Amino acid sequence: MNGFEQALTTGIEGGTIILYPALGELIGERAGVVNLGMEGCMLAGALSAFAVGAITGSAWLGVLAGIGGGAVVGLAHAWLVVKRHADQLASGLVLWFLALGLTSVLGANYVSQTVTPLPVINVTGLSAIPWIGPIFFEHDPLVYISYFLVPLIGWALYRTRIGLVLRATGERPEVVSVAGRRPELVQMGAVVLGAALAGIGGAQLSVGYVDNWFDDMTNGYGFIAVAVVLFAAWRPWLVMIGAYLFGVALAAAGVLQAHGIEVNQYVLDALPYFVTLVALVALGRSGGSRAPEGLTKALTNSS
Amino acid sequence: MNVLSTKTQDEPKLLAPEELTNPTWSSRLTEVVTAAISTRGLRRLGVALGVYVVCLGLFALLVLSQKANPFGVFNSIFQSALFSNGSIPEVILRAVPIVLAALAVSVPARAGLVNVGGEGQLIMGAVAATGVGVYLGNSVPGFIGWICMGVAGFGAGAVWGGLAGLLRVLVNANEAVTTLLLNFIANDTMLYLLYQPWKDPTGGGQPESRPLSSHEVLPRLFGSSINLGVIIAMVAALVVWYLLKRSGWGFALRVVGGNQQAASRAGLPVNRLRISSMAVGGGLAGLGGMLYLAGTQLQLLPGGTATYGYIAFLAAFLGRHDPFKVVLAGLLFAAIAVSAPGLQLSYGLDGNVVDALLAFIVVAPLVLSSRRKGAF
Repeated sequence: MNGFEQALTTGIEGGTIILYPALGELIGERAGVVNLGMEGCMLAGALSAFAVGAITGSAWLGVLAGIGGGAVVGLAHAWLVVKRHADQLASGLVLWFLALGLTSVLGANYVSQTVTPLPVINVTGLSAIPWIGPIFFEHDPLVYISYFLVPLIGWALYRTRIGLVLRATGERPEVVSVAGRRPELVQMGAVVLGAALAGIGGAQLSVGYVDNWFDDMTNGYGFIAVAVVLFAAWRPWLVMIGAYLFGVALAAAGVLQAHGIEVNQYVLDALPYFVTLVALVALGRSGGSRAPEGLTKALTNSS
Repeated sequence: MNVLSTKTQDEPKLLAPEELTNPTWSSRLTEVVTAAISTRGLRRLGVALGVYVVCLGLFALLVLSQKANPFGVFNSIFQSALFSNGSIPEVILRAVPIVLAALAVSVPARAGLVNVGGEGQLIMGAVAATGVGVYLGNSVPGFIGWICMGVAGFGAGAVWGGLAGLLRVLVNANEAVTTLLLNFIANDTMLYLLYQPWKDPTGGGQPESRPLSSHEVLPRLFGSSINLGVIIAMVAALVVWYLLKRSGWGFALRVVGGNQQAASRAGLPVNRLRISSMAVGGGLAGLGGMLYLAGTQLQLLPGGTATYGYIAFLAAFLGRHDPFKVVLAGLLFAAIAVSAPGLQLSYGLDGNVVDALLAFIVVAPLVLSSRRKGAF
């Protein structure tokens, strides 16, 4: 395997850690709620997954626990933001700090423990394809599930009634209310679902990728997920591309250096953020940002 | 549309916000007392107290779950923040970057802008100050070095914040979003410099810059560990208070934040005011980064600001963007941050436990923040 291929392979695996919370953030933001606490949801998911995985010996039970862990943090955010009308940005940051503190304290005993990680499965047939095979089809099952999840979410958002209601809630909750639906419930559901997805991302990190737990292990992945959604201008397929772009950028420097090519890790790290910023400027220039209207309102009236 | 009728429509917006009338202390006190005496006020006070008690109780439960005594932990936090040897100066030193980065949130908030970029602005301030400080070295007298570093720090932060303001005005890119992105670009910029061009060749391979020369370090005052940076930060906070509460610029910001259309009809340069509020905010955070570097850290280190920018956002929120309260909130959070090592040493709790405490303190007003009318 050459360096380029290896960078892409690691990029997909690492990018999946970003993809799950990014899809979650996408769903929440489409319903008009930004969650800066994705980092916290991921931490909760990562620790729950690792703890349950280590105790039961089953990484899959761990993943389920990760979903639960993320969802609990998401529920707190949903309650504060939707029911108590709290400032969305402050609530997200608070829950990040809360999850950081809680997982650091509660996870202290798990720091040196081991877990049976999710198995790496080579997809029969597909993994034999040169180039594409090793890059896309030699991973753990959560990576494969994400391949299906992206089109599923795209379909649900654009082709189903619930997706329509969700998007309408993000744009004009009053209209949804008049149509006889309860926008509050839609928003809460979207936030909790999104946070549960972030929990899977955390699980992919702790029982799929590094097979370890240490405090603050998400190291900014949750914030990257927020950036990816902006990069993607709230579209599922672009979220996938963005997540892999960040994943490859994070993985590339190490791999390239191992092959004797000197690059500075941090220049590569900054690149996707820079691209996102340029994309935002370009979108703004082309007139009309694609941000859900309710989201824009939530972000501007927060003082 | 009839000009006159729009004028009358906008008028209440322009004049109504009670903050514009600047009540005196005595009238405010009477207000608070009468509000508290009325039953509704009492009930709200009770609810507020109850929420705080529940939040602190949850933190106590967390501590208990680790078989530590919660009273001991709270006592230890008080000790390390207030009573143990040299604790107060340490809290004050730690508060310098937090308070200035919090004011960096509050100034643009007056103009209705959300600055989540305190972290990046702190970093860029420290980076610029390091660049200038290391470059100047021993070539100039100390006080010229301080001024140059301060100007560089303020300037770099102002550019970082102003850029977000500029993007908001020019292409309508949401500043909450761009400032967040700029945080990461700032952090990566710092790490890039520390791992390659600025790496101290005598630093044993550690990613750290050359230390500032000894006379560039801000001098200590009154034989304590308090340094000149604290005085500068206090002056900066006073200036912010004056600008926001007493100056025409601060008044104009509030008008822009209250009703942008009314502001532009009244002939205010809305775009320039918005950009300037972000630049001044960013500059304050940049100054905070410079003061922390030249007073406490003395060389640029990775993770030197350690999420202070985000803590500052919460401090500004807790202080409701009122300069005086924001300073108090910043001091409170600094005290909590300072207590971390002690909790680790005497109770075996992970140092990050203080993040949970900080969060529980801010969760309370979030729970209570319910707006008067429902959103839908």
